Amino acid sequence: MKHADTTSFFLNDLEVHWFGNPVRPLVDLIRNEYELKGTKIGCETGECGACTVLVDGKPMVSCLVPTAAVHRSSVTTVEGLITKKNFIALRQAMVQHGAVQCGFCTPGIMMTLYAYMQNYEILNGNLDFALKNNLCRCTGYLGIKSALQQVLVEKEGSHSHG
Amino acid sequence: MVEKPFSPHDPNNKVNGTTAFIEDIAFPNQLVGGIKRSPHPHAKIISIDTSKAKEVQGVVTVLTADDLPTYPFGPTKFKDWNFLASDRVLFIGDEVAAVSGETKECVQQALELITIEYEILPAVYHPQEALSSTTILHQSANNNRPMHLQIERGDFENAKKQADVVRKGTYVINPIYQGHLEPIAAIAKWSKNDGMTLWAGSHIPYRARETYAAAFGLDEDQFRIIVPPIGGSFGSKYVLKMHLLVSALSKASSRPVKIVFDRKEDMITAHPRVPLNMEVEIGSTNEGTFVYKDVVVYADAGARIYWSPNIVATACTRPDGVYHFGSVRAEGHLCYTNNSPTTCMRGFGNAEMLFGVESVIDDLAEALAMDPTELRKRNIVKKGQTTIHGYQLDSCQLEQCIEKVKELSGWARRGHLPENHGIGIALGNHVSGFSAIDPRFDGSTAIVTLKPNGNITVQTGEIDLGQGLSQTYANIAASVLGIPSEMIEIQSGDTALHPFGVGTLASRGTVMGGNAVQFAAEEMKQQILKLVHEEWNGIGVFEAGEILIDGKRLSFADVADLYRTKRPGEVMVIKKTYTPNTELPDKTYYGHPSPNYPFAAHVAEVKVDTETGRVQVVGYWAVHDSGKILNFTGAKSQVIGAVAQGIGWVLMEELIVRNGQVLNPSLMDYRMPGAGDMPQIDVAFIEEPDPHGPQGAKSVGEIALDPVPGAIANAIANAIKKRGYSLPLNPQAIWGLIREQDDTNRRELS
Repeated sequence: MKHADTTSFFLNDLEVHWFGNPVRPLVDLIRNEYELKGTKIGCETGECGACTVLVDGKPMVSCLVPTAAVHRSSVTTVEGLITKKNFIALRQAMVQHGAVQCGFCTPGIMMTLYAYMQNYEILNGNLDFALKNNLCRCTGYLGIKSALQQVLVEKEGSHSHG
Repeated sequence: MVEKPFSPHDPNNKVNGTTAFIEDIAFPNQLVGGIKRSPHPHAKIISIDTSKAKEVQGVVTVLTADDLPTYPFGPTKFKDWNFLASDRVLFIGDEVAAVSGETKECVQQALELITIEYEILPAVYHPQEALSSTTILHQSANNNRPMHLQIERGDFENAKKQADVVRKGTYVINPIYQGHLEPIAAIAKWSKNDGMTLWAGSHIPYRARETYAAAFGLDEDQFRIIVPPIGGSFGSKYVLKMHLLVSALSKASSRPVKIVFDRKEDMITAHPRVPLNMEVEIGSTNEGTFVYKDVVVYADAGARIYWSPNIVATACTRPDGVYHFGSVRAEGHLCYTNNSPTTCMRGFGNAEMLFGVESVIDDLAEALAMDPTELRKRNIVKKGQTTIHGYQLDSCQLEQCIEKVKELSGWARRGHLPENHGIGIALGNHVSGFSAIDPRFDGSTAIVTLKPNGNITVQTGEIDLGQGLSQTYANIAASVLGIPSEMIEIQSGDTALHPFGVGTLASRGTVMGGNAVQFAAEEMKQQILKLVHEEWNGIGVFEAGEILIDGKRLSFADVADLYRTKRPGEVMVIKKTYTPNTELPDKTYYGHPSPNYPFAAHVAEVKVDTETGRVQVVGYWAVHDSGKILNFTGAKSQVIGAVAQGIGWVLMEELIVRNGQVLNPSLMDYRMPGAGDMPQIDVAFIEEPDPHGPQGAKSVGEIALDPVPGAIANAIANAIKKRGYSLPLNPQAIWGLIREQDDTNRRELS
């Protein structure tokens, strides 16, 4: 930490220091200071999930998170996941299962699915519960759930085959 | 294969978050815009004082009606729009002033500092009251009724006498919100040399351009609309006053201006599905042959006309393309009220009326002691027939849809279900484009270009909404040319660069735009054969992405090279227009308005918690006749998404409007279905090719929603032996129905 009032955190594995308003919504900072536009704004009241990011691996709606709350935490946006193996597998399955239509909710949904893949216990092992903070108006969710299930099965398979 | 340029419509890019929506786009020197809205449903404007707002640091422009043109305009023939209110405001949210400034904060402050003195006027909120009210919204409609539709076909009075059994009910569609995840947003950029450029999510950009150019008194070619990917619309983003106001703000400052609604502003002003009050009556013989149908519709247009007249006409006629009702009569009253203007949402009047019709048909089946599927099968339309309003059905697999959905759902279980479980069926139809949208032209144009690298670009005037249109067009062109769809890039959404298109509405994308793509790709194939014939004097053969001639195998890149040689410096560009064989409906709404008509049969199974009134959909089966399916993943996703929207509409959603005020303008208080609300859904397609569709296809988008309200409502009635007449059938409504003792008006089912 450089200054008592500075918020320092890791954003997609890079350490950043924010000297401005500590209660500025994290989504605003991510999009407008760090120009990471993959995190979308759908409601600004924590109901739609389009702005979901990972804070220490856990999905959170970044419109309701004041920047100071992620001090010393690790924040991951969709841009930080694009090259990850699990993300790529999920992306392919999402496209294959028709789980992407307009695409506005999709990056947020990917954050939740990715977190679920990494550690489903923090989401009670219940995908409907995990997705309760992500609205999708186009696809009816079933393709999203099938995509995740397929990737989980493939992952299990690859483990059992060493 | 050569790598394709970045496409924002590629689902991989949407997943990666690299697809830019309007809010993700910014221009240098861009201003923020905002709109001052009326807090009153109906009031006279005494004075507007903008002096304090103009003094706010950072504010660039403050506009009122005095600063703007006053040509009469509107997107339909009812020219009742304005830029800003000058003498009266007509609904809560009506636009009175517009502000641009350097920051969101200064714009917000300026909006609050605009002082408007109002004299409150009496307001009217219900269509039936509006008809006899002394409160008149527009002088052009002195009884508040801009449209009064009356249709009668056959010897109606005599047909009524043939009925042995009659069932009827008054069915109510309350306002619902389209629920697009991307809030409404637009950017405008005016310059004296280039005129106006508007980035907006309109999926009918050419009609929007015509409307907006008229409003400004500009030529159409001075008003360019660019459509970035749209984050959901479902009918809400066709044409909007905010598009005009952001343009006016840019014109005033000659700087780019962006407006992005927050969710509250979006929900108050996005204009809900047209609320309808529908009296539906159907008569049948004892043998189960329908002899007449009589409907009276009262529709709430709100304070201005968007697309409500078309929705009234659809509600009054479209279901007559599912069944032969014998003689039909319909009366539609479209009324101005002091509610926010209402507009379209997927289903467009047909899904609404089918809720009533399908409910009444189940009541008739009960009265006749017939299985609901049998009664339907006796009366449905069939291939080769012309319907009572003139639809020519050159393909129809509706009966097969019914058989298949019965099989998949285990329909025979009906009557043997656990307590408080119910199962219900409903049918639906739709169009694949509609000639009356634009009487001048209802087809589509495609431009196909063979690029030097051998890849193909297809330009269309139709708009990708995420429904899979780009993939469908790529599949069509790929199959004609015998190349992988990855070699084809679809371009659309710029009125200055791409061919004219009527737009993506009335489920017209696949058939109208698809036929144009098919024609253009076929013509390109002929031109390639002609070219190689000129060079080698043989007959070329398309095989595995190459052209075989004279013992040579030419790639598409070789053909592009040859073309450049033989037609010095040129690139092969083919432009083809599809003009469908439709007829414009006449003044009585008789005609053949669509190249073809999709059909569907849906079954829903529900479980009702009688203690709480909560209905859970536990199973859903959807069987569709959409002709040949060209994009299976996209079509299936459309159906599942539509069923989800239907579950929300029937069981959960209502935009609660009291005295013109939306009481629940947030996603917390307006709950839409989540992952946990979804049952398993089985989707099947009966793929009979239609002779008029591209490669045999018909539409999918709206037909997928049309049967949902009827199927769920019938399942609930089957479970609790009471019928709900007003959507939503939320826990409160169902709890009340179950406990309703005096059921004089609403006949109890046995």
